[in-house]
Amino acid sequence: MNDAMTQNNNPSPPASSGGSATKQATGKQLVATVFILSVAAKLFMFPIYLIQSTGRDAYIAMAVAGGFDLIMLGIVLFALVKSGDRDFFTLLTDTFGRTGARMISAVVALFMFFKLNIGVAESLLFYADNVFTDFSVSIMIFVLLIFFISVGMHTLRAFCRLNELLVPLVAVGLIALVTVVAMTGYDFGNILPVMRNGKAFADGLCEHTAWVGDFTPLVLFLGRTDMKKRTAAFVAVGGTAGTAIAVFFSVVLCAAFGNVPILVDTSTNVPSILQFSVGNLYGRTDMFSSILWSVAAFIGNALLFYSTCRCVAFTIGKSAHMIIACAVCVPMYFIQVFAMTDQTLFSTIVTSRAASVAVPILAALIPILAVACSLRRGKNNSSSAQASGDAEVVSDNGENGGSADPLAKRCGTEE
Amino acid sequence: MENARRITDKFTTQDNIVTRVTRCGGKECTVLVQPDLSDAEAARAIVYSLVNYDGEISSLDDFSEKCVFEYDVTVSEDCDEATDDLLSGDIIVCLEGDERYAIVNARSYTTRGIVEPPTETVMRGPREGFIEDLKTNLSLLERRIKSPDFAIDRLTVGRKTKTGVAVCYISSVADKRVVKKLKKRLKKIDIDGIVDSNYLVPYIEERPYSLFSQTGISEKPDIVAAKLLEGRVAILIDGSPMVVTVPFVLIEEFQSGEDYYQRSTYGTFIRLLRYFGLMLATLLPGLYIALQNFHYTLIPVRFMITLVSAIKGLPLSPMAETLFVLVLFEIIREASVRMPRAVGMAMSIVGALVLGETAVNAGLISSPAVMITALSSIALFTVPNLIGPMSVLRLAYALVGGLFGLYGLIIAVMFSIHYVSALNGYGSPYLAPFAPLVFTDFKDAVERGVFPEMKKRPRSIPNTNETRQA
Repeated sequence: MNDAMTQNNNPSPPASSGGSATKQATGKQLVATVFILSVAAKLFMFPIYLIQSTGRDAYIAMAVAGGFDLIMLGIVLFALVKSGDRDFFTLLTDTFGRTGARMISAVVALFMFFKLNIGVAESLLFYADNVFTDFSVSIMIFVLLIFFISVGMHTLRAFCRLNELLVPLVAVGLIALVTVVAMTGYDFGNILPVMRNGKAFADGLCEHTAWVGDFTPLVLFLGRTDMKKRTAAFVAVGGTAGTAIAVFFSVVLCAAFGNVPILVDTSTNVPSILQFSVGNLYGRTDMFSSILWSVAAFIGNALLFYSTCRCVAFTIGKSAHMIIACAVCVPMYFIQVFAMTDQTLFSTIVTSRAASVAVPILAALIPILAVACSLRRGKNNSSSAQASGDAEVVSDNGENGGSADPLAKRCGTEE
Repeated sequence: MENARRITDKFTTQDNIVTRVTRCGGKECTVLVQPDLSDAEAARAIVYSLVNYDGEISSLDDFSEKCVFEYDVTVSEDCDEATDDLLSGDIIVCLEGDERYAIVNARSYTTRGIVEPPTETVMRGPREGFIEDLKTNLSLLERRIKSPDFAIDRLTVGRKTKTGVAVCYISSVADKRVVKKLKKRLKKIDIDGIVDSNYLVPYIEERPYSLFSQTGISEKPDIVAAKLLEGRVAILIDGSPMVVTVPFVLIEEFQSGEDYYQRSTYGTFIRLLRYFGLMLATLLPGLYIALQNFHYTLIPVRFMITLVSAIKGLPLSPMAETLFVLVLFEIIREASVRMPRAVGMAMSIVGALVLGETAVNAGLISSPAVMITALSSIALFTVPNLIGPMSVLRLAYALVGGLFGLYGLIIAVMFSIHYVSALNGYGSPYLAPFAPLVFTDFKDAVERGVFPEMKKRPRSIPNTNETRQA
């Protein structure tokens, strides 16, 4: 059925398990997800767009955007700690009632869908520019959609396990990249100055705020994560390290290339620098590491897709996850094929005033909303002492429902 | 006699059973025997006892107390139960004036000897294997686990076959919920018959349509005993030497019984080889096609020159020729397995050498494609239990690699991992201890730890007693 009616990710038996029966993600998996999200999203187009608009201040703008996202991560973490066993949708329903919660969920779904389309377009553009000589989005996107449908159909637990397995792969990709770049040599002096008439970094950043909000989908982890004492600290460290790595790589890669203005004019993403710098010396060995990095981007996109599907499911009050996943894929396909392949149109959409205003507001509002709902829930709990038996509240789409079979609940077999 | 006729009337032909009517203690007595499954000596002894008994007999209770001493006798009023027992080889005795049935335990049938199973041969370690007899199989386990905690729950499955099924576990170790859930599923089976343990597997798996098996299968009592000691539950079926175990995790496919009978360092090395071999086996053809079709710049120049000279003038595309060789290999393998051993060997030689060599010479396929397939196939045999699913995945990856390049291949791998991550049978995540991470279980997953260090049972398998040794 649905993934919230599930169980502890901790495989251990009653003798050794300590988490709640409805938890789907372990603390380690949350750290892995946060790390992947932080290194994935800002590597491809964001630095290039920032360099194009703000010149040398791009790295500062990127760090500020990273800082904003880290603050949002902190808010989400606070909500994770405060939410207890309640998931995001249950918290919304408790606070705003069913109709209000559905309306908010619809807005969140739209936000996730918009972010998803930006992420997918970036990833596909990376492959079109760097990896393939001929890349037909209308055909190539099908493989990605099948993967997304699989993610949309299955549980958050399965998705978290995938992250956990792929983090070492991404780490290997990063280490390989560092090695290759170090062997190539770099000079930080190369990156300055990069632009003739750059804007102030604040203006450039405001224009590209569509890229913030990478950690917003983590609200779906509310009530489903086995938060231990130090989990929040580890997550914060993971997110900070990931963001620092993303910024550092943008700077180092640009320094390794040495001719950033040409890059800005000819490329759409940061990894293509490797093609020009490392590629000239060692052949296309850079491609493997870049592709490993792109795994992180696919994971980030998959989480956005999952979030969109679950928000849609809650909004319409159905839990037919396969149908919903397919339904989300249809508009996504057309948007990607007919709109996002046109780079001018893509740029116009993501830098539009509407996107630049709406995305950061929603990116901040959704976690704040989660915190507010969690705090209100805490207050209610203390006053009513859970007289209403709220531990078994089932949200509209059946998430976090109780199960007659405790083993099935723990094992994830009651979907 | 009426109650004897109630049984005999159930049979379509009367040749299945032998009926002997005699007198005992002044009353008419009918003995029913299934000659193919009963001990002939027992039948003779019972008839002899009845004929020669000269005392008085009022009911079947007297029969068991006064006539037949050396056999285990139970008295039942249920005609169906008596019929089932008769069909299992027991002898039924009916007495005039008593509507009940005396059931004498006299089952006896020939079984093959205990030999080393051909699917799990070892260089070192026990060579005993299960056979088709449930009783013998249970004795093989009981000889290894001499504990009152060793529990055997007996069930009967199959309306027609009435196959005996034994659910075995160690009550102080196995998670009760696993046992309960398994038994519940077994009891729900309503089929006319099962003839092998594999018939039961889809009923007890979470996802019967999955490419990956979610139950362990072994023919060796030492392996099953070791699994029971880790908290698993074993299902033994009369008529099958294959014992099914649950819960099951993927790493079990990488573990071999022999790992535990060798030095741990070598065992670890072999295990790592298996992981590497499996990755090589599944990804190599897809990677080869992807590189040739889309990313030839990734191939070092010297290799590229050799490759170009090898594929020059081929009528087939890299994807078509590799898929052709892969399918050809699968056909040859399937044909060799089904053939008698002597013919199978000849077939393999003809297939591998003659067909491959001539196809290369004729310019239909290239030697790199043959080499890649051969290497991948040999690597696949490092994990014999995964040959089936991985052969399918290998073909799928080759197709995706040929159509979508590295981009498609990497997403296909992610898709597969995600799918497998979602498998969760009887409380055990399929990819444990890698996802979710259970570091303590690494001692018997990546490495083959030394026994003194393995103080705890695997946390990936639900159990009620973690401690294995102090």
